Amino acid sequence: MLKLLEGPQTLGRGRIFWSCFLAVLAGALIYPLFADSYDVGNFAYFLIWIFMALGLCLMWGYGGMLSFGQTFFFGIAGYGYGVLAINMGGGTATIAALVLSVVVAMIAAGILGYFMIWGGISGIFFGIVTLSATLVLAFFLGQTAGPEWHIGPARLNGFNGMKGMDPLTVGSFDIEGSALYYLMIALIVIVYIALRMLVNSSIGNVIVATRENPQRAEMLGYDVRKYQLLTFVIGSGLAGLSGALYTSWGQFITPSSIGLPAAAMPIVWVAFSGRNDLTATLVGSFLLLFGFQTITVYSQQAALVLMGVLLLATVMLAPQGFVLGIGKLVVDWWSRRRRRDEGTALADTGRLQSDET
Amino acid sequence: MALVEVKGVSKRFGGLTAVSEVDLTVNAGEVHCLIGPNGAGKSTLFKLIVGLYPPTTGSIFFDSTDITAERPYARVQRGMSIKMQAPSVFKELPVRQNIQVALQERLSGAECAAEEERLLALLNLAEDSGKLAGALSHGQQQWLEIGMALALQPQLLLLDEPTAGMSPEETYKTGELIKSFNAQGMTVLVVEHDMAFVRQVAQRVTVLHLGKIFARGSLEAILEDEKVAEIYLGKTHAH
Amino acid sequence: MSAELFSVFYQFADVFAFLILSAAGLAIVFGMMGVINMAHGEFIMCGAYVTVGLVNLGVPLPIAQILAALTAGIIGMIVELLIVRRFYKRPLDSLLATWGLSLIVTQSMLLIVGSAVRGIGTPEGSFAIGGYTFSTYRLVLFGAAVAVLVGLYIIFMKTRFGVIARATMQNAAMAKALGARTGRIYSISFGIGTALAGLCGALYAPTMTLIPTMGATFVVESFVTVVIGGANVLLGTAPAAVFLAMIRMALNASYGQIIGQIGMLFAVILIIRVLPEGLSSVLVRRGR
Ligand SMILES: Nc1ncnc2c1ncn2[C@@H]1O[C@H](COP(=O)(O)OP(=O)(O)OP(=O)(O)O)[C@@H](O)[C@H]1O
Ligand SMILES: [Mg+2]
Repeated sequence: MLKLLEGPQTLGRGRIFWSCFLAVLAGALIYPLFADSYDVGNFAYFLIWIFMALGLCLMWGYGGMLSFGQTFFFGIAGYGYGVLAINMGGGTATIAALVLSVVVAMIAAGILGYFMIWGGISGIFFGIVTLSATLVLAFFLGQTAGPEWHIGPARLNGFNGMKGMDPLTVGSFDIEGSALYYLMIALIVIVYIALRMLVNSSIGNVIVATRENPQRAEMLGYDVRKYQLLTFVIGSGLAGLSGALYTSWGQFITPSSIGLPAAAMPIVWVAFSGRNDLTATLVGSFLLLFGFQTITVYSQQAALVLMGVLLLATVMLAPQGFVLGIGKLVVDWWSRRRRRDEGTALADTGRLQSDET
Repeated sequence: MALVEVKGVSKRFGGLTAVSEVDLTVNAGEVHCLIGPNGAGKSTLFKLIVGLYPPTTGSIFFDSTDITAERPYARVQRGMSIKMQAPSVFKELPVRQNIQVALQERLSGAECAAEEERLLALLNLAEDSGKLAGALSHGQQQWLEIGMALALQPQLLLLDEPTAGMSPEETYKTGELIKSFNAQGMTVLVVEHDMAFVRQVAQRVTVLHLGKIFARGSLEAILEDEKVAEIYLGKTHAH
Repeated sequence: MSAELFSVFYQFADVFAFLILSAAGLAIVFGMMGVINMAHGEFIMCGAYVTVGLVNLGVPLPIAQILAALTAGIIGMIVELLIVRRFYKRPLDSLLATWGLSLIVTQSMLLIVGSAVRGIGTPEGSFAIGGYTFSTYRLVLFGAAVAVLVGLYIIFMKTRFGVIARATMQNAAMAKALGARTGRIYSISFGIGTALAGLCGALYAPTMTLIPTMGATFVVESFVTVVIGGANVLLGTAPAAVFLAMIRMALNASYGQIIGQIGMLFAVILIIRVLPEGLSSVLVRRGR
């Protein structure tokens, strides 16, 4: 199993990479000891969105399916968590609400994905159909201000959004502040490792093969539609996880986290970071969220303009992504230096890539 | 015994009938060559057999089962595999991974790795196994695709112009390879323009012309048929 | 009875006009270059703002609308030159690039212009048939939509440009080899597409509140029309709009706008399952 942590589908291997990984993880774990709780809460907030980015990275970078519907599933699970948490009462039931809302998002992804994938939709159309669904959901929720729009005691509340759900709670212990932060870190590590293992497994092999040449993959006996649907459901489910966590973190959700420009954000993060690699996406998305949040304090519009500029610049200057590009440069430089030092080309440890010799 | 039976199959593209009322039987264990001038409909017939196109009329049987409505992957799972005319590999993946994707359903672990090495060596690709498949030469990509088709250990192997762009020695080697697989029981249906190659491997030959079966039989009989020479062999008689 | 019939037609015409006007520009750019212009909504917004600005300066509405469409067309050609042109071989990247542009434009507008701009109000004028009153301007919109289709038919079927453009659409490399200046054709087509977007904004400007994010109101309709219409504007977009307009009209009448939109989306998702290549593939096949 552990062998799957490394493989041709993920950059970053060997002792140096994993040492860095552990060092960052250790830093993240001791961070709350030094920071005040407000900052820790904010940090937890950035981390919420990482799942959505990793999900898109899986679908787009590995599966070749550019979904513009991440906020659609974010919204379904976000509202789903609200409805379930309010209806089932607070307390430990919120954990069930979290799990169920993600399941609901995955079911929605299964249905939408079935129609698109079995209908042979791919490429650009995959993007605009998912985006259409997203915008329609946002418009719909925006029009639910009236009191007749409710599910049990949970009012949808139109543009003002749904509020009043409990945060994640175990018994009488609210998972907030540092506890929430540690939960996020744990979930991110689990999801990151699990995705690495998935893409390096034989299923991952088929997923990337399908991206490269669906016809050839089918001619090797794979029902590529099933693999695409699986990828779509997992990727969208991760967006759902972000949504449910978001609602429980702030105890509210509005349609503006679904529609434009929110729907563009995951695309910017993943494109800028480098869609072909999970680690690049993880690092890049975090950096962008951090920067975005810093600027938003002054002007949200300015932050969004910057996102637009970054997207445009990425496509024009580094279509593979900036973080990935810089990562590769650093590694090239590093291995060249090592090669010179040792006079040998066989410096595999710590190499990000092995296929260029 | 018939492994593949094509019965009354036609394929129209708009106004053009690329394959017209074709009946073709490929017996289990033979090497069967499909020849015919450019545009005769050979590749289209191959794609009909593997299910990349649905036929306009007619039906296709594999191992006595009607597979006309089956999707390509299901047909492959029944035991056929194809090397297409235009190289079709996973260009952005390393050569080794291309082979892995083809092998992994059948084998795993150490067995898979051993078979991988064997195939890479067989295809002369061992040295380039780390390269991206898209970086290989046209000929090497053909080898790789043949390798992927072989990795499935199919009952029926369909090869659409396997030797295009190969040197005479390579062509000869490919022919011997096909014969060795055939000796182990694999049925092979191959489209070729190179008559020396056809002579080397074919046990039976079918000539396709303008979408219709024009002649069939042993290569000798076909070569003596003047009508065939007129439409096709006239220009390649030099072999 | 005839009044009721007319009322049904009127509602159909209203939705049909909205679909055609919002989708035509997007469809042309997609049909010609395979590019989805994600800044389509922003060109619509541009048309609306220019119209309102000119009217507020005293320019008569129809002239302001034409000028607005031209402005959007010219800006479109500049955008084509600076950005879109590089991505004709990478349609997904062109989509991302134009999406980036869309973000930049909307949010800068919000920063600079703010959200409140004084509107100009729908041109008055209504008429009554058998107890129902109808707005004349809505019929003008329908007339404009029909005029756009006729205009496109003439441009693409009857002019030299149209012949070359269709040749380029079929086989760009071949058209180029035969001496067509494909670069210029793409540039003009993109300009026509964005001018039509501008026209859409200009025509709807009097009927809605002007906000920088108004383009989003149109994009769903334009997307779904193009998705089921496929690559052919005349044989795809127009029938798609007729079809979707009927669904929407029925749902709007009984359940309201938003259910109409949701129903339309469901219809589209069902259709792509059944007809993966869009309506135009069926029509074109039948046409042979
Ligand atoms: N997808 C398609 N759409 C339309 N026409 C096609 C299509 N595929 C093939 N054709 C036409 O069908 C005819 C038969 O083509 P096919 O590729 O089967 O010939 P072939 O015998 O393999 O020729 P070659 O020896 O050149 O490979 C040709 O006229 C070709 O142009
Ligand atoms: Mg052929």
